[in-house]
Amino acid sequence: MRRLDLAVLRRRPGASRDPLMVAAGIVLGLLCLLALVAALVPFAGSPTEISGPRLSPPSWEYPLGTDSLGRSLLPRLLEGIGVTLVVSATAVLITAVLSTAIGIVAGYAGGWLRETVMRVVDVLYAFPAIILAILVAAVLGAGRVATVSAIVLVTVPLMVRMIAAQAATVAHRDFVTSARISGVRLPVILYRHILSGVGGTLAVQGTYALSVGILVEGGLSFLGQGVQLPQSSLGLLVQEGAVYMVAAPWLLFAPAAVLVASILSITVIGDTLRDRLEPREVRSLA
Amino acid sequence: MTAGTAGTAGEKDGVIVSVTGLAAAYRVRGEDSPALAGVDLRVDAGERLGIVGESGSGKTTLALALGGMLPRSCHLSAGRIESCGTTVRGAGGETADAAQLRALRRERIAFIAQDPAASLDPTMRIGRQFSLAMRAQGTPMTDAAIDEALAAVRIERPDEVRRLYPHQISGGMAQRVAIAMAVARRPQLLIADEPTAALDAEVRTEVLGLIVRLAEEHRITLLWVSHDIPAVRRWCTRAVVMNEGRIVEEGPVGTVLVEPEHAYTRQLVNALRAEGTEGDGR
Amino acid sequence: MRAVLRWTLTRLLIMAVTLLGTSVVIFFAVRQMPGGYESVVLGPLASEEQRQAAAERYGLDQPVLVQYWHWVTGAVQGDFGISLVSQVPVIQELALRLPVTVTLALMALSAAVLIGVPLGVLTGLRSTSRSGGALGRTVAGLGISVPEFVLGSVALFVVSSVASCFSVGNLASLSGEPATLVRALVLPAAVLGLYCLAATARTTRDAVMNVLVEPHVTAAVARGETPGHIVRHHVLRNASVPVLTLLGTITAYLLGGAVIVETVFNIPGVGSYMVTGLGRHDYAVVQATVLLAAVAFIVINTVLDIAASLVDPRVAAAGGRR
Repeated sequence: MRRLDLAVLRRRPGASRDPLMVAAGIVLGLLCLLALVAALVPFAGSPTEISGPRLSPPSWEYPLGTDSLGRSLLPRLLEGIGVTLVVSATAVLITAVLSTAIGIVAGYAGGWLRETVMRVVDVLYAFPAIILAILVAAVLGAGRVATVSAIVLVTVPLMVRMIAAQAATVAHRDFVTSARISGVRLPVILYRHILSGVGGTLAVQGTYALSVGILVEGGLSFLGQGVQLPQSSLGLLVQEGAVYMVAAPWLLFAPAAVLVASILSITVIGDTLRDRLEPREVRSLA
Repeated sequence: MTAGTAGTAGEKDGVIVSVTGLAAAYRVRGEDSPALAGVDLRVDAGERLGIVGESGSGKTTLALALGGMLPRSCHLSAGRIESCGTTVRGAGGETADAAQLRALRRERIAFIAQDPAASLDPTMRIGRQFSLAMRAQGTPMTDAAIDEALAAVRIERPDEVRRLYPHQISGGMAQRVAIAMAVARRPQLLIADEPTAALDAEVRTEVLGLIVRLAEEHRITLLWVSHDIPAVRRWCTRAVVMNEGRIVEEGPVGTVLVEPEHAYTRQLVNALRAEGTEGDGR
Repeated sequence: MRAVLRWTLTRLLIMAVTLLGTSVVIFFAVRQMPGGYESVVLGPLASEEQRQAAAERYGLDQPVLVQYWHWVTGAVQGDFGISLVSQVPVIQELALRLPVTVTLALMALSAAVLIGVPLGVLTGLRSTSRSGGALGRTVAGLGISVPEFVLGSVALFVVSSVASCFSVGNLASLSGEPATLVRALVLPAAVLGLYCLAATARTTRDAVMNVLVEPHVTAAVARGETPGHIVRHHVLRNASVPVLTLLGTITAYLLGGAVIVETVFNIPGVGSYMVTGLGRHDYAVVQATVLLAAVAFIVINTVLDIAASLVDPRVAAAGGRR
């Protein structure tokens, strides 16, 4: 069986490219690029300038139509993509650093320290994502800071759990034990062995956390508790679109499509990463 | 269609397994990596054959192929396999259908897996999965009969063990349960692939002795895949040495594993002598 | 069985600790809300005497811990205080709204379980790769990637522009008979249930595939058992543990999703109560609804944990860790 496992599990990086993964990467990359370029050079026009008739359908002049105040939707959408991505990515970065630090220490130390961390994490985990986000927005006041904090608090529990579990597994491997016996200092062990051991988990969970971040930002902004006008975000634009959907459906569909596309691409990338990092054999029962 | 017909001439001659020119390869990410490159093998009724070789020599692939148990990623490209009267693969490439292979595995071949504890269903009590397996094979057993079968593999207080879950018993005991389940339906051929790899040395000898004793008692032909040469020398009658998908040497254990002719076998045996170990088989 | 008992007791203990922690977090978080109790009740122009009277009435002059104690003991007995805005006991409003939200959640959940589990088992048994074909991945991915506020808005758009047979937006008075309630909730429940369905199908499929490669299934194949027999006896029960865990996650999703779906469809449930309360800085309402959601989640997850240990005895044997 050993032979069989090796043969199946040995995979050359990049030996075959998954077309779905490539498509997802292109979609996500394009969205980032567009948002970035629009932030530097307002090629599509200003997101705040009231330039046209109200609720006009898509045309050459206004590629995605105009909103209820007569602002062109395209620059607002581009700004919204940027805001949503920056807010989510910032939050996920904070989550990643926090959870790695907490998870590694708790997982490596084990015992009461891990138990305590897990109980605290359980408390955070007991709040449904959007409800926790609402609570955070209620305390901090609606806005970007609240949104980022909410995403961090929503994504930290799961990531701490996963990293602590992974770190605990790595901590009992032979090379860590031998490092400890030969007198390598604790910070060095944590940094060199444990951190590299949780890298895969971090990548997969971080990707999933990013899509959760976009969802939370969207939900919170949709409820009016997230990013505030006149700035735009994907969630905010969907909410605006929903109000005028009968008169101007493009206001709903354009941001909704972008939101779904970005979450979908991130999920696909996360799944592919997971499959690459945790490959498995498939069997039939025949 | 000659595939899958039971009761061929082979069996009358006392030949349980006959493999000729078998070639197999694993398909990994669109590339073939060969596992067997032209293997001929004959196993006679009543013998105890040890297949030895390093990891990756193809011995497990060969053992799995006999029962039509290869994973999907492995495909046979040439050769003929006949096991216990079933043509698993004919020379022309025709293969037995799923029902025929199931019947073969149900009635005539039994496998003992590497990791004993994992080969038992973790959500089921021992007694229940024993009787379920027997029922699925068309030979239902009463609890008393199961107790007897467990006692035969030297499990004390079988009526208590029957009520336990697999995680509640030791690896050695789990392997004995697996052996009892495999032998309970009196197969013609018992294929054991490193059956003691997950056990510690003391239990290992006991379990091996048990397998051999049961095989003799019930006239079951034993095919044992192992890299433990001293153990094969002790428990088997004949040995086959595999390297890189080929059989490099075969013969009685006293010849092959004591005065090997082939360079590769010599290397294996000498490496063992140099280590000064006599392995765990003793 | 002793392990299962110990596991159950451990889970219950952890549940108690988590409930305690959660209630503390909610209580003190809500105290931090800007505005302050008195100004919500009285408005910014209240006099000092009025403020003091209000503080006395709501027990604000007592130490914080005492306030917390009163709140928790009251909540245990169903007394969530009085809405600061409407001056009606919160429990009265909850009694009207809770059945609506529970019906909505149960409709979504049953769709997920009744359709998602069989779908996941079928695709799990038949699939040839872990992430499935491109089509399957995209469909499952879509189900998971479309947020309920997008789906709800689009569904509303489609319904309002194509068919007017659903009584969308007419849900203001739902105290009527159950059949009307269920009919009115079909579309919102479908919106809420799509994610649950996709997640359930996906997790079930992964779980089935993971069990299929376990050695005990290989052992059953080696015994010549038929696929049907193996699936019935050795796959389904083993695969149900991750699905039970997922149901916990789905519970959280339903509780949170209900907030959004109820807002989108203007349904008078607990979720929209929370959002309204938040908008009006109605502390008592926010506290009560958030606590209710958290308690529901914790209790359901504990029940599912205990159920998992009954399905797979290893769960309990592994000890208190998750």
